Amino acid sequence: MSDEHPHDMGGEPGGRIDTADHGMKFWEKQANALRNTLTSRKLVRLDELRRAAEDLGSRYYELEYFERTTAALRAVLLEHGFFTEAELAAKIAEVRRRYESA
Amino acid sequence: MNLPSAYTEAPARRFNVGERVRVKASEPPGHRRTPHYVRGKRGVIERVCGTFANPEELAYGFDGEPKRVLYRVRFEQRELWADYRGPEHDYLELEIYEHWLERA
Amino acid sequence: MKHHHDHSHDRSFDSGPPSEYEIMSRAIQELLVEKGIITPEQVRARMEQFDADFPYRGPRVIAHAWADPGFKARLLADGKRACAEFGVDLEADRLIAVENTPQVHNVIVCTLCSCYPRALLGMPPTWYKSENYRRRIVREPREVLREFGTVIPEHVSVRVHDSNADMRYVVVPMRPAGTEGWSEEKLAGLITRDSLVGVTVPKI
Repeated sequence: MSDEHPHDMGGEPGGRIDTADHGMKFWEKQANALRNTLTSRKLVRLDELRRAAEDLGSRYYELEYFERTTAALRAVLLEHGFFTEAELAAKIAEVRRRYESA
Repeated sequence: MNLPSAYTEAPARRFNVGERVRVKASEPPGHRRTPHYVRGKRGVIERVCGTFANPEELAYGFDGEPKRVLYRVRFEQRELWADYRGPEHDYLELEIYEHWLERA
Repeated sequence: MKHHHDHSHDRSFDSGPPSEYEIMSRAIQELLVEKGIITPEQVRARMEQFDADFPYRGPRVIAHAWADPGFKARLLADGKRACAEFGVDLEADRLIAVENTPQVHNVIVCTLCSCYPRALLGMPPTWYKSENYRRRIVREPREVLREFGTVIPEHVSVRVHDSNADMRYVVVPMRPAGTEGWSEEKLAGLITRDSLVGVTVPKI
């Protein structure tokens, strides 16, 4: 296991595999569709998203799959200047308020 | 009608199907699509996939040009893993970019 | 400026409070919509494709390959081209089909992330994306296959395909005995997603 390349795990010791398919939650399906909408329009490249996930270091193992892809998407969209950290923070706060008042 | 193909052309390639190659045992930083478990290992060219923009560059916002030749390489599992418990006719196949390969 | 918030259409709430990343994902989408980069309709259409279209293509293509040896040969020679010929547009996926035979059993993984022929099979199952599958299938495939209930005899060659770069993979399983004369629709009903990744084999 390596912080430098946490994703490169082929051949490492591993435990029992949960062979059931647990499907996807609604937000995960939406996150996947969002990612796909952006890559198919070449607004971000899949290679950039992979690299940003790999750069998560030790956090790679702490996050679940769609949490990783969301963290990576956030990083790449910020790099490209689609929005600023401040704009995202404000929107996150707004979305959270909406959930809490629902 | 021009149907799309899985493959692209690679006329200026270094290797051909059946040739023995070795993956460079290199540890460059940054985004690579060559897993650690094949680095330094010997295999055989199974297929030429074509030329593609270099993902190691695309990952950082560059255009990945000039395109690099991509091959499928077949490895004996017993070559990859010292403790492989399966038979000698078990294989692993994956894609390796030309700049990661040397003649074996 | 008019905001086209999509949240009024969020009927399918997940149970429990949203996680930090669910909130972040929704926030990212709403920001991009506000800035005119994407529309909610585009994302919704994609969700629909992943649910209602993509997962049904793989079994149809493989059933056609079972029924039509010429098509199977073309599928094995160039998966993307054969699918296009059959009317299945794989978009960016460069498909390589690998065939199970009495001498060879194939299984697919992406150790580096979770590359998968999504335009042919839909979304990968959770186990395919799991760390333990990515770690172990390349090194001890027969043991992992046994955990899925699949035992491959020693004389059969097990081939693991790590889809680590630009190509995507699908397994063409062996057609089970006793299916002679079956329609393609009936054959497709035998072909599970797991058999197209190679962790199981189709059974009547």
